[in-house]
Amino acid sequence: MISDIESRLKSKFPDSLLNVVSKDKRITFSVKKEKFYSILSELKDIGFDHLSDVTAVDYIDEQEFELIYHLWSHREKIRAIVKVRIPREVPTVKSVVGLWTGAQMHEREDHELFGINFEGNPNLAELFLEDWEEIPPFRKDFDTRKYVKEKYYQEDEQYPIVKG
Amino acid sequence: MEEREIAFLTIPFGPQHPASGHFHALLKVDGETVLGLEPHPGYLHRGFEKLMEYRVHPQNCVLVDRADVLDPFSCELGYANAIEKIAGLEIPQRGRYIRTIMAELGRILSHITWIGVLSMVLGFDSANKIAWGDREKILRLNEIATGGRLYPCYLCIGGVRRDISQEFVDETSKALDYLEGQLSFYDYFVFKNETFVMRMEKVGRMSAEEAIDLGATGPNLRACGIDYDVRKDEPYEAYPEVEFNVITREEGDAYARSLCRRDEIAESISIVRQLLKNLPDGSYRVELGPECITLEGESYFCLESARGEKCFHVVSDGSPCPYRVKIRAPSFLHTLTEFPYLAKGSTIADIPAIYWSLDSCPADMDR
Repeated sequence: MISDIESRLKSKFPDSLLNVVSKDKRITFSVKKEKFYSILSELKDIGFDHLSDVTAVDYIDEQEFELIYHLWSHREKIRAIVKVRIPREVPTVKSVVGLWTGAQMHEREDHELFGINFEGNPNLAELFLEDWEEIPPFRKDFDTRKYVKEKYYQEDEQYPIVKG
Repeated sequence: MEEREIAFLTIPFGPQHPASGHFHALLKVDGETVLGLEPHPGYLHRGFEKLMEYRVHPQNCVLVDRADVLDPFSCELGYANAIEKIAGLEIPQRGRYIRTIMAELGRILSHITWIGVLSMVLGFDSANKIAWGDREKILRLNEIATGGRLYPCYLCIGGVRRDISQEFVDETSKALDYLEGQLSFYDYFVFKNETFVMRMEKVGRMSAEEAIDLGATGPNLRACGIDYDVRKDEPYEAYPEVEFNVITREEGDAYARSLCRRDEIAESISIVRQLLKNLPDGSYRVELGPECITLEGESYFCLESARGEKCFHVVSDGSPCPYRVKIRAPSFLHTLTEFPYLAKGSTIADIPAIYWSLDSCPADMDR
């Protein structure tokens, strides 16, 4: 089954698959940004009906975000992982809410914590954070320790003092 | 006649503990009917995924406990396994058995706590107190084996922190016998209680297609007839060596979800008994070499926690701290997608029943 999926995607998207690794009951695709939505849509048609997670990783040295879509097929009992790199300067991708309703909240979380824009997501309002004015906090250039020191400690104080 | 805009009332649900947990939602209502529910999470957002980037792997094994208060072993197990996969470590047989025993005891602990809270929000306080007392039996086992009751910090990279004693084995057998007897009491007292059935049956119903689309996992999905259980589908630790059934039901309502959890307690008791019976001798932990301090690689590990599919995605770039950790928390979707979907069109009185039938843990949701 894994090899069928691999050959089907390779024949359909010959130029868009950068790397394919299949091991045990898992298949990992690294894909180009231009075709990633079509590839995910194709995988949904094949039977990957459960979107497990949408993860973002900030590769600041390469000035790129990596989005990782974890899919599971309830029928075939196999997992597919789709990785796509997007530029850090313009972090905009198409939303997959149309394919899996559950993606809405995953994307909202990634939007809040990494500042990635998902075009077509109906609601990207703040989720966990309230009145956040800094850069998205899970980005690599956000220093949590420095932020906490400045916000909650006074100079030369050992213990935090909450400023009003 | 002058046309006037109809104003709907907005009422808050939560964040009182423990009725809704640290979770707040706004209900838009028309009389008794809920027109929509807007979730407002974040009361327990501590940003563990970011905090872990500042700590070395053994420290993270301790920190990750707090990501799911009611089922801490699943977090430890997930993180340790993700790191072991990158390092290519083989865990000794005894270590794997002990880990599986703890994971299953964690599931029983979480489900019994859930019986207590669900009973309480349904106005059924005696069952709540009894369940809280039974929960203590498992916490006592945690204490014997690990020294900690709620946050055990027991599973570590390479195995478990210390071996289990004969006292733990004896006490566990006693506790399991007791809890098995209590199950028939819960049947009589809670699950077959007429009031309970009336509050739960045909409430918060979703079909299998809807559940899959919303991203449901765990007992919530299995109550819709889908037999997805990571323990069976992608076996880890000692699960291939034990026999157990995946509990499924067809109805997909709050009552079916409750019965799924009730039956899972019985399955977990049977799993722990099998493991204790066949507990192998030998070492319970591998020595970690210097190669485990700096790791380079990426791994993705999934496990079945008490609430459903919990996954750890760890990226490590060769420094002693992980580059990125992502925890796929089952409660995140239970509360933020399934709950608003099921609440729409129900009545105000059903909201707590639906919320707790999904068994969501706010700590797990916010991370």
